[in-house]
Amino acid sequence: MANLDITRRGLMGSAAATLAMPSIARAQNPAEVKVALLVPVSGLYSRFGQVMKMGGEMAIEHINAAGGVKALGGAKMTMLTLDCGDTTEKAKNAAQRMVAQEPDIVAASGSYLSSFTLAVTEVTERAQIPVLTLSYSDLITGRGFKYVFQTSATAASQAEQALPEIMRLAESVTGKRPQTVAIITDNTGASVASVKPMKEGLLQKLGLKLVVDETFTPPIADATPLVQKVRAARPDLLFFLPTVISDAKLILEKMNEFGLGQGRVPTISFGIAIAMPDILNTVSKDLLQGVLSCVGNWGTKGQEPLIAELKQKYNEPWMDQNAISTYGDMWIIKEALEKAGKADKVAVADALRNLDLGPAKYFPGGQMKFDDKGRRVGAGLTVIQWQNGTPVTVFPDDLALSKPFWPKKA
Amino acid sequence: MTALKKTLPIVLFALAYAVIAMLVTNSYYQLMLTLVLVWAIFGLSWNVLSGYTGLVSFGHAAFFGIGAYTTVLGQIHFGLTPWITIPIAAVLGGIAGLMVGFPTFRLRGHYFALAMLAYPLALLYVFEWLGYQELTIPMRRDAPLAFMQFEDPRAYTMIALAMLIGTVLITRMIEQSRFGRALLAIKQNEAAAEAAGIDTLRWKLRAITVSGAIAGMVGAFYTVVLLVVTPPSVFGMLVSAQALTVTMFGGIGTVWGPVIGAVILIPISEILHAELGAKIPGIQGVIFGLAIVAVILLAPEGLYWRLRDAWRGRKRDSSPVPPADVLADGEPRGTQDGFASSEPGLRPAPQDERAGSGRDVSRETILSVQGISKTFGGLKAVQNVSFDVKKGEILGIIGPNGAGKTTLFNLLNGFLAPDEGKVMLDGRDMIGKRPHALCAAGVGRTFQVMRPFLRMSVEENVLTGAFVHAATDAEALRRAKEAVATVGLADVADRLGGELTTKQLRLMELARALAGQPRILLLDETLAGLGHGEVGDVLAVIRKLAATGITIMIIEHTMGAMVQLVDRFVVLDHGMVLVEGEPHSVTKDPRVIEAYLGKKWSTHADA
Repeated sequence: MANLDITRRGLMGSAAATLAMPSIARAQNPAEVKVALLVPVSGLYSRFGQVMKMGGEMAIEHINAAGGVKALGGAKMTMLTLDCGDTTEKAKNAAQRMVAQEPDIVAASGSYLSSFTLAVTEVTERAQIPVLTLSYSDLITGRGFKYVFQTSATAASQAEQALPEIMRLAESVTGKRPQTVAIITDNTGASVASVKPMKEGLLQKLGLKLVVDETFTPPIADATPLVQKVRAARPDLLFFLPTVISDAKLILEKMNEFGLGQGRVPTISFGIAIAMPDILNTVSKDLLQGVLSCVGNWGTKGQEPLIAELKQKYNEPWMDQNAISTYGDMWIIKEALEKAGKADKVAVADALRNLDLGPAKYFPGGQMKFDDKGRRVGAGLTVIQWQNGTPVTVFPDDLALSKPFWPKKA
Repeated sequence: MTALKKTLPIVLFALAYAVIAMLVTNSYYQLMLTLVLVWAIFGLSWNVLSGYTGLVSFGHAAFFGIGAYTTVLGQIHFGLTPWITIPIAAVLGGIAGLMVGFPTFRLRGHYFALAMLAYPLALLYVFEWLGYQELTIPMRRDAPLAFMQFEDPRAYTMIALAMLIGTVLITRMIEQSRFGRALLAIKQNEAAAEAAGIDTLRWKLRAITVSGAIAGMVGAFYTVVLLVVTPPSVFGMLVSAQALTVTMFGGIGTVWGPVIGAVILIPISEILHAELGAKIPGIQGVIFGLAIVAVILLAPEGLYWRLRDAWRGRKRDSSPVPPADVLADGEPRGTQDGFASSEPGLRPAPQDERAGSGRDVSRETILSVQGISKTFGGLKAVQNVSFDVKKGEILGIIGPNGAGKTTLFNLLNGFLAPDEGKVMLDGRDMIGKRPHALCAAGVGRTFQVMRPFLRMSVEENVLTGAFVHAATDAEALRRAKEAVATVGLADVADRLGGELTTKQLRLMELARALAGQPRILLLDETLAGLGHGEVGDVLAVIRKLAATGITIMIIEHTMGAMVQLVDRFVVLDHGMVLVEGEPHSVTKDPRVIEAYLGKKWSTHADA
């Protein structure tokens, strides 16, 4: 219910802004600067969009409390949420609506799912509105667009960065390098994009032999055949890429049933599906203990007050990628506004292209700077691990909230 | 004249839409104007197959998606412009329709709908497996016009409008030609359509080909508008559902249905989404769903038909039409038909009323049934039945319920294939021929349970049966008019099927069979449900037909009427021929009386 109150307050704020806008839109130093959040807040992906909204709202509050955009005479930032719904068509419609009816928007953040981000940026590119995104797809910044900025490492680069770390971790704990790997993945876009570079040379480079290679279509009805193959092959590692929570549950439970669970076959996931709070509603935390996942961003060391605030304010048990990245996006936009010196979308985009704020804040690794494709320079990733019912950041070392442990055979 | 009258609303609609589109400068509203047309065209595509044939397809996303991927892959891999790939998509959609239709039309009803569901789902996985999870149309700043990437969104609306008009005109042409009548006949009763000489498989394949082509075309265009293609966005369940929703909401089986549905539903859905989506997430779906449920409950066939019926109803308020089940003479029905008036032997017909008098029954055999049998599991429905039908005679097939009379007819006109035996028509064996082929060979029939096309006029109803031997639509129309006149329905030729009395319906069915110019006519309980006076009227018509040289076989319970009509009886019991002969001898035959009334009465009759 706290949620709803905040939503309503946010609404009244933006309604007031809309009313106030026409008279002051042309003023030199607007009292308010409007940014948009284009995310799914209804339908299948609403959970992710709502968390993004929490992160965005928190950032806006913090920015305004710290004096707003100083270069604009302390103008306050406001954030307008537009619902991308559950289809690419609705995502595009939302973007078009923003372009047509919100001429004051100077920048936006969105849209969780890569395909939504692709559809949204087709519109914003033509309207010259800069968009920051946490989506992984290489295609987003591979189209030669000038108005899209990707803060996460792309899917291909994430696998390349994460796998050597996983190997190092395994070796340091067990004293021997993993030799064999099993992959169980669903066939959704993000999963396929993560697995593709592995099969195309990455595994070979790391000396890993692929002994089980299974792709399934969510939702699965019975995980037995998949898990049986893993048991027969007894790999040193299991890469497990579900998108749907029920699939994660079925496979983890079946592994436990077959005596492979709780670390007997160390399990590494990619993406945030396996680390959503909802998973605890159906999967026991004992089953999840030790499961690793490679994600684009997560709540890290140095962000403890933010994590606590999110927990207290929105009752979110931990800060996932969606919350922290959206939080960071708002700060990047704020810095771009400072640099641009005016509330103008083209100027903000220009400022983003030339931004250089040194080492990244709120994002793992690399610089707060975008290359000519719009990808964040040196973007890293985080590895998280389920420890006692909470997924915590365990890599990179400087951001880790906890030490990783390698699941040991009991 | 009617062509102009019917085209005018389309022209006016297109003009109004174009004017509105040109005036709207807001790019978001402009996008809505484009999407409304996209989904209207997709609805029309669905309508061509499912609206007219009644075979519900849950799988139109298959064709839509094939079109979508044709455009995006064409541009990514071959640098082809949508101007070229949209027509290619239409061709591929048509081919896909044909390929899907051929195996799937073996199924009917729910089975067909479920099978259709599988195609887009299968394709969805195929395209995911191929690695086409997310594709975008490359931006061509160098040649925007050549690649349909317009600066001005109004251009998209105009292209969509042109496509819509094209689709509406194609649909109209189908609707008003023998193509459309064939599809509507299939919708009402596929078996009856076959019996009326319609090659149902061929017409259904044509329909799904046209439908697939339109869906492919609009899917390709959708991609140009959306620029991003993912398998769920074009092959998803919701895509197929969209076609159903707009059509069922607006009106099934009319060009206006999908247009009305899209014009109302697409903006409402989007407005709800825009206004409420970010505030009370998910509420838009609830309201939208409830609205659709309400409309479907209030107007089950869609808004268009509801409005049209209301409009017609008001126009005709002064002359209420009697419901079909109230008899003209006001007599209650039950006493007139069935056993009460058909006690054998009690009412021998006066000789001079007999149809045989004054009419030449040839000695030539037109139809020869030779030892046919049919079993359903353990039930021997027809056993070793043989008889000949002479050219020009009226042959009555009688027998108690369950004697196998209708099964016999089904064997004769090709609905069923006999397990053994032969059916010779003019000396040629007709076994294994499909009903429409038998119809073309001259075997027409009517049905025990009437299957009028309720929303068609009498003349249109009859017209569906007239295409068998007609080379042109005009010739078919002429034959239909003749048939209507022959049975004496000329003065109600413009009435809708749903407004007729039982007698008129029977006569209309007769006319429909007659319009196919049969040489032999199988009438299945044509007198059932008629009042006393009405039976006479229908009998008069049948005699008239016989007088023109048409051979008639008639199944009837109403013995009293039959003895006045027929030249000869074949009595069936338990699937076998019991007696064959002249009416006066048959009606006195103790075996016949026993079969009908039991042993007690047969001894009575002997006495």
